[in-house]
Amino acid sequence: MVLAGCGGRHNWLAAAGEEARAVETLFWIVLVGAGVIWALVVGLAVYAHRAEAKPHREREARRFILWGGVALPVLVVGGLLIWGLLILRDITADDGALTVRVDGERWWWRVIYDTPEGPVTTANEIRLPLGERALFRLTADDVIHSFWVPALGGKMDMIPGRETTLALTPRRLGNWGGLCAEFCGGAHALMRFDAIVMEPDDFAAWLAQEAQPARVAMDDPGFAIFAEEGCGACHAIRGTEAQGPVGPDLTHLASRDKLGAGIYDMTPENIARWITETDAMKPDIDMPSYPGLRGARLDTLVSFLMSLE
Amino acid sequence: MAPRRKIVPPGDAPRVIDQGSVWILVAAPSIWAAHFLISYWVAAIWCAKLGRGTSLAEPRWIIAGLGALCIGAIIGLAVLAVRRYGGVFVIFEEITESSERGRDRFVGHVALLLCVLSAAAILFTVIPGMVLGQC
Repeated sequence: MVLAGCGGRHNWLAAAGEEARAVETLFWIVLVGAGVIWALVVGLAVYAHRAEAKPHREREARRFILWGGVALPVLVVGGLLIWGLLILRDITADDGALTVRVDGERWWWRVIYDTPEGPVTTANEIRLPLGERALFRLTADDVIHSFWVPALGGKMDMIPGRETTLALTPRRLGNWGGLCAEFCGGAHALMRFDAIVMEPDDFAAWLAQEAQPARVAMDDPGFAIFAEEGCGACHAIRGTEAQGPVGPDLTHLASRDKLGAGIYDMTPENIARWITETDAMKPDIDMPSYPGLRGARLDTLVSFLMSLE
Repeated sequence: MAPRRKIVPPGDAPRVIDQGSVWILVAAPSIWAAHFLISYWVAAIWCAKLGRGTSLAEPRWIIAGLGALCIGAIIGLAVLAVRRYGGVFVIFEEITESSERGRDRFVGHVALLLCVLSAAAILFTVIPGMVLGQC
């Protein structure tokens, strides 16, 4: 149970990122150092208990207390403080080959890649090129959230009205887990995302694809249902008249692995249930359920959404 | 009629920090608290006015300079604790004597320890300002 967090895709000891390695190095040094100090203190307690009761020379005792009780703690804590601050300075430094803006919403992630050709908006999934430093500009729309991909690096609060920064430099390919690390309300524990590390060429191809508008025929019956039900008031599908800014961008919904901010597999069954029993799948969220959507009409809408690749 | 001034004999002028007064106990932690608050204000106002990413070059020197002054004042307090109260850093016998002298020595000892703690705390307030270079 204690070690439950020490494996898998949320493993902060996976050394999958440059910044996670920096934190991990500090962790091992603090752990070993704490062990040494513990052993010394316990050793002294045993010595004090067993030793023959006789006074020490005052000069030696004074020196021991001054060095061991004042100088050593100040130096050790000061050194660790400086080390920790240097790591913090590096992982928040304002530079990166790639800039990604992430906005925390209750309870999902709005993700915008800044590219020379303009912003590329997606949601609930972050893809990163291997070995390149990505700078995240983090904001929040409603309450305080916290952005954390344990395997890749440190966590950073997302504070309404402010922008915080965090760099991640992935060193291992893989699909790593990300989550909100600051309690933010009802569905906080269901506010997750995938952080997928790709080869740089694959990433460039993916980003180019993501920048494209959706390939939707205007007479697509699924899109007609999407429009009739008013989905476009909240959700955007680039390249169509649906430009709602409230909920996640659905332009390339089906190319994502997960549905509902990292919690369900992207399958037609899950999408159908998401539409009709939204509140049961993710309690407290703003999206209303559409229990009246059934049969062929629902199937057509789900097929349309699954075609958004 | 001119107001009558109370004539205080030289050497008997009331001192806030002297034998018998416990103000010396709160003086050093108060200096730390003031330094912390002023550092926070300086950095917060600086960054709020000039925006994210602004260099902290000027405020960090204000914080460090102020820190040096405060540590200087704390050293002065430590000297007072030793000279006027007979405070020692490490005590080798219990201070249980129920007398002016015993109480002074106890206050001096505690004040000296608080001086060390406050000086270290000021140092730890200055360090982040020196390491982190921008808002």
